[in-house]
Amino acid sequence: MLITIKDIYKIYNEGKESEVRALDGVSLEIDRGEFVAIVGQSGSGKSTMMNVLGCLDVPTYGEYWLDGTDVTELSDRQLARIRNREIGFIFQGYNLIQELDALENVTLPLIYQGLSIFEREDRAMEALERVGMADRAHHRPSEMSGGQQQRVAIARAIATHPPIIMADEPTGALDSRTGQHVLEILRTLNREGTTIILITHDNSIAAQAHRRVRLSDGKIISDERGEEAAGA
Amino acid sequence: MNLIQAFKMAFKSISSKKTRSFLTMLGIIIGVASVVVMVSVVSGQNRRNMEYYEKMGDNKVNINANSYTGQDMDQILNDFILRLGDLVVGITPNVQAWGSEMIIKYGAKSYSTQNWENWEDMVQVVLGNDQYGLCNNYQLGGGRELSYLDIKNENSVCVLGGGLKEKLFDYTNPVGETITVNGMPYLVVGWYQGKDVEYSPELDNILLLPYSLNRTINKNQTISSWSVKASSAAATTQVITELDGFLNGMFPKDENGMRQGGDFYVGSDNKWQEQMQQASLMQTLVMGGIAAISLLVGGIGIMNIMLVTVTERTREIGIRKAIGAERRSIIVQFLIEAAVICGIGGIIGIVIGCMGSLIAGKFLLQGMILWPTQSITIGAFLFSVVLGILFGMYPAVKASGLQPVEALQAE
Repeated sequence: MLITIKDIYKIYNEGKESEVRALDGVSLEIDRGEFVAIVGQSGSGKSTMMNVLGCLDVPTYGEYWLDGTDVTELSDRQLARIRNREIGFIFQGYNLIQELDALENVTLPLIYQGLSIFEREDRAMEALERVGMADRAHHRPSEMSGGQQQRVAIARAIATHPPIIMADEPTGALDSRTGQHVLEILRTLNREGTTIILITHDNSIAAQAHRRVRLSDGKIISDERGEEAAGA
Repeated sequence: MNLIQAFKMAFKSISSKKTRSFLTMLGIIIGVASVVVMVSVVSGQNRRNMEYYEKMGDNKVNINANSYTGQDMDQILNDFILRLGDLVVGITPNVQAWGSEMIIKYGAKSYSTQNWENWEDMVQVVLGNDQYGLCNNYQLGGGRELSYLDIKNENSVCVLGGGLKEKLFDYTNPVGETITVNGMPYLVVGWYQGKDVEYSPELDNILLLPYSLNRTINKNQTISSWSVKASSAAATTQVITELDGFLNGMFPKDENGMRQGGDFYVGSDNKWQEQMQQASLMQTLVMGGIAAISLLVGGIGIMNIMLVTVTERTREIGIRKAIGAERRSIIVQFLIEAAVICGIGGIIGIVIGCMGSLIAGKFLLQGMILWPTQSITIGAFLFSVVLGILFGMYPAVKASGLQPVEALQAE
């Protein structure tokens, strides 16, 4: 298994009256090459789920094995390394650095990887080409539309060739046509072997995944497989 | 991530946020520049004062003494000074001609000793001996000093001060020429270089005659004032004490506090010099304090602007962490960024401070070439850089310790 989580809890204000159980004993396994959608209403804990899976946040309790490594035991530095090499993130709000142009944004994770300048530029351009943004390499985020920014964000996620891509409502801020384009890119990546974990509240988008894990009140309420409407 | 990369990233960040970077720098620029200017103006003022006193004659003891019983004070003092040995370098009578006006002439040129309307051209006739120049800090420009024989034989010779020499002879050599004082001929045997003290042309407009001419010039044989040159500042104090004791013994006070047999005064300009030094130290402290406050205000400005951008930077840090930046590389990046901003600001501040010092020297200190002291400049620079780095790093240290998701949620 690529990802195994077991009895994961994420509890805020534990023991107080205002205690919130964002994740309430979740267990899940995800295999290499899967296209999983984690679906739920807002407040269901799906974003917390992605943060924990993406090592952006640590669970309060529980076990998390990533590719055979016990992630909960890792140091801050080792976690940074995992975020850098194993996982590519796509956020709803794009999270590009406004002062850097598209190419520089895409180059950033490669810099933290310690690649040489030539290799960085090559791989960043290659990633931008894949999302069709090569001609906008020297535009800043403020000079691009939402869809274009999201494509740059995808390029940044795939530039390091990570085995896992996590996307948190990647189409949330986009119109449906642009959203479909973004999903198309994700599907292509998945066909090439990348594991995709997609967080969404939208059932029609979730339907395009191979597997749908439904969350409610921090618990998994269903786990369905099969491509419902992908071909339709 | 290596250091070159970190530097590149810092420069990128600075140049992409020009306004903010400039505002941050501004505090440092103003702070450093004002410290540099203030301190150099004060130290320039001090230097000017010290120069003035040096030219007036340092380690100089002034004596006034009158004997009511007609004792030869000149002989008595000379004998006493001899006993002080190495403490004293020289002694000269230091008498000014007084009374009726004297006219000094050379060819068609004529100057008066009582030209009050045009005091810059007023000549002062003084009487002294062969050590007059030594005791009053005059340097010979040419010719010779008065000699023992000139005094003994009451020769009609004179030495010109730099200013008077220039007035009478321009740049030609006056030695061997004859000038007249109230029609009486005097042979010029030497001249002093000008002291060129601001606002004190009278120091250079002197005409020095042998003191033995006192009788003719002042219609008086008694000499009552002398200048003694001591060998050092410490010796000056000692000489004053010795002379004071000696003259106190000579002219003791009675029960009413009245002196018997004569009166005297012994003092030195060193005292003024010391007071001036003390006053200027106070001035330095006050001005330095004001400057330090302005630097502090500048520092608070830096702190402010850095804190205001914390949330903005926090989000950026969140993004960087999410895509794999280690805590260390984020801190290093911000450290370099703050250091570069403050360093550039500090250097600009020093440059402006140097220019400001030159301008202040030109207009406040009569064209003095004023350069800031090195230690103050470096001190102000380091202070602002350290301040900038501390506050510049604050968001980085704070935010890089957060979980990436917390930093990303910063609004």
